[in-house]
Amino acid sequence: MSWNKVAVVGAGLIKMGELFEQSYEQMAAGAFSAALVSVDKGLDKSAVDAVIVATQRGTLWGQEGIGGNTVPSAIGLSGVACTRVENACPSGSDAFRIGAMVVASGVHDVVLVIGVEKMRDKSTQEGLLARAAAGHPLYNRGETAPVLFAPFATRHMHEFGTTPEMLASVAVKNHHNGCLDPYAHFQSEVTVEQVLASPMVCSPLRLLDCCPQTDGAAAIILTSAQRAHEFTDKPVYVAGFGVATDHPYLHEKSTFVGLPATTLASGRAYEMAGVGPHDLDMAEVHDCFTITEILDIEDLGFVEKGKGGPASLEGETALDGRIPVNPSGGLLAKGHPIGATGIAQLTECWWQLREEAGQRQVAIRQGFALQHNVGGRGSGVSVVNILTRNA
Amino acid sequence: MTAPPVKPVAVLGVGAAAPSLRLAASDVGTAWGSGGGRGTVAVCDADEDTLTLAWQAANAALEAAGVTPAEVSGLWWGTARPPFAEGPSHAFLATTLGLDRTVAGGLSSGSPHAGMEALLGAWDALAAGHARVALVVTSDALVPGLGTTAETTTGAGAAAVVLGAIADSAEGPSTNGSSPAARLVARTTRAMPAVDRYRADGGGATGDVYDARLFREEVFVPLLTETGRALSQDAASPLAAWAIADPDGKLASAVAKRLGAPLASAPVYGALGDAGAASALLGLVQACAGTGSGATGSSATGSGATGLFGAIGYGGGRATAVLVDATRPVPGAVGVEQLGAGRRVGYPEALRARGQLEPMEDPIPMGLPPGGAAFVRGNPEMLGLFGARCRSCGTISTPPSIHPTCIGCGGDELEVVALARRGRVQTFVVNQTMPPPFQAPLPLVVIDLDDGARLMVQGSPADAADLAVGDTVTLSLRRYALERGIPVYGFKAFRVAGAGATVGSGQDRAAQEGGR
Repeated sequence: MSWNKVAVVGAGLIKMGELFEQSYEQMAAGAFSAALVSVDKGLDKSAVDAVIVATQRGTLWGQEGIGGNTVPSAIGLSGVACTRVENACPSGSDAFRIGAMVVASGVHDVVLVIGVEKMRDKSTQEGLLARAAAGHPLYNRGETAPVLFAPFATRHMHEFGTTPEMLASVAVKNHHNGCLDPYAHFQSEVTVEQVLASPMVCSPLRLLDCCPQTDGAAAIILTSAQRAHEFTDKPVYVAGFGVATDHPYLHEKSTFVGLPATTLASGRAYEMAGVGPHDLDMAEVHDCFTITEILDIEDLGFVEKGKGGPASLEGETALDGRIPVNPSGGLLAKGHPIGATGIAQLTECWWQLREEAGQRQVAIRQGFALQHNVGGRGSGVSVVNILTRNA
Repeated sequence: MTAPPVKPVAVLGVGAAAPSLRLAASDVGTAWGSGGGRGTVAVCDADEDTLTLAWQAANAALEAAGVTPAEVSGLWWGTARPPFAEGPSHAFLATTLGLDRTVAGGLSSGSPHAGMEALLGAWDALAAGHARVALVVTSDALVPGLGTTAETTTGAGAAAVVLGAIADSAEGPSTNGSSPAARLVARTTRAMPAVDRYRADGGGATGDVYDARLFREEVFVPLLTETGRALSQDAASPLAAWAIADPDGKLASAVAKRLGAPLASAPVYGALGDAGAASALLGLVQACAGTGSGATGSSATGSGATGLFGAIGYGGGRATAVLVDATRPVPGAVGVEQLGAGRRVGYPEALRARGQLEPMEDPIPMGLPPGGAAFVRGNPEMLGLFGARCRSCGTISTPPSIHPTCIGCGGDELEVVALARRGRVQTFVVNQTMPPPFQAPLPLVVIDLDDGARLMVQGSPADAADLAVGDTVTLSLRRYALERGIPVYGFKAFRVAGAGATVGSGQDRAAQEGGR
């Protein structure tokens, strides 16, 4: 495969949370502004010649028919080329992948990848929970978001002896990391006992096993490696990416102890980047629920299948662990504004590789970071992006 | 008027079913401050209705009769309150039972007499030679008016009978090649136009103007006694017992006393209350089981009573009596006490289950409207529980309409097959957090079916507390939703408790059928 090398020259996000006071458009403008400000040598916004927008659920803020024109208008770039990507929970990471391919193709020079999501303009009842009544009238009936992942926890516990304490340890770690991230939705510690005492949402997942509903936006500016030094002396490069799919219904899954789409996507990304799991300094992975992070670190090859629970409990994924996972606080603490999530994760990778992550900075030895999302019906879509600071 | 001679038909098997819930009359009294009522009545859970009860009883009767759905030439369904006042009620039931699309028969409704009308319709078709095997299903889940005395008497239940034609030459053999255990040998009907219970267009609950003294003395005792005596005159010997539909636990015994033979059906009212159109056949099944005294445990399938049994059903100003001559125990005859004791619920839960207590906030609508194209495409495969089997690798993809290619190998040569209705739990969750109309706890179960297909369906709240990976479950028809007045039916998973078969469910038979 031959493609032009792509660089990240700017990245930023807004403070995540229930942003009742901000419109979708204001969140988009805030994220774009943060990305522009982050460009070391400055970048005139008129230099942006294409925008890729990730928004997964326009339905949650009353914009069912949203296209690609809302964001350019909101950020003062009306007229610019713009495409909207909707690809489930990996919408943001897939928008990044597509943006990288656009730059690599040489068709556009400076591409803004921006994810924006309003999760709380509708009540939980009418928004996320309402999906219990959507989809196939029998095979999806009652399927709220936790139902997509809880069956994997049940089976993982059954086959590998994974315990509620192991699940809880993921929440404890990510909430701890969130305390160190000024952009995180939650900035408070939780204990294993608190997780285990929280209300049962969808067995075996309790409230603190679940990510919150978070409004947010994040933006990244991409250009070719050739032009990167016009904007910064510390560019980060796109080393590889992969996307993969699986069947959309739970009853079509070949396994309930892993998400094959993640394995496929990461395999493609590792091959493209010419690296393996052991070359990574850190990873931002999809932890919509605690069990998801345990599945992820197995499916991404960080630990052996079935060992994700003990590895989490024993701190292998902590900031100072063998492979730090979700230093930003992850979806569990930083939040999961769906379209923005992947781009916010990539922003964290960018900060970490540039060693600008402050108190949550992990040791950068080999110069590679991985970002991952998985989701959609039956967790049937996964995207993995790998960034590097190595020229 | 002289009635033409009646051609007997064979009784090949019977089945019965009861809903899940029981409501004590005393709880109704407490709610209304009227202090009243004894005993309990059967109430459908939110996912049960007259159709799901009919499905259960029909499966049990087919299993008992040893008749496959493909052998059934007609379905006659009697219910005072079909799931659609107008709509595809009969087609839905026939599809869920796996009957052929050419199946004859019809739906009788409009009063509790509908059960007897269905029986007579089937009988006529068999006698005329237009049908060889007839499935008669009677079911009801009536909705009483709030605050009326009917709340303490109105119940629910279902009974089914498989009938076979008898060759003209002799009393046998029947269609199944041996002499039948029992035959329907005589029948009579009387009319007496009087309004007792009624429901107008658009009416939710059944209105009840039953004035005990008026109707007992002037209408029902005379009408039923006259009908019963007329039937007795056709009997070659004295009747062994009567089965009489009962509105209040008193009328049937009064009539039986006048007719001079024991009342075998008393336990039906005692266990279920007034089961409407199903009452007469439920009583007949009870009589054939030989447990009319109400004693429990004496009648496993295979034992049972013999002799002449009279059954009387009525309603809508008409009464019909039929005579059954049982020379051997009737296959499938069970006492109502074997249908399960049900789960006792309080008055608010019973009202909620019956749809009479609703939240003020609007329930979340189904993603696809039940009247829309997706249901036109999907109803046969949802009601019949079909999958698509790959001719190359054997993998079953479910449901067929969303799987033009195989989930296993991508092959595109698929054949539609009925799925097995038994399997083991691969994994599950219990959802505790959902908006109305959902009720927690709601198990959602991924099942590895006996035929190798995998399915995710809702489970039973009763299994929520201790469901486990590896548990054996069977699939049973339930109502998934009632939206814009349209019921949506599908299969749900129920754990098989221990080794005991579930009487009245017919799920074993269904599993065999689906597994072929």
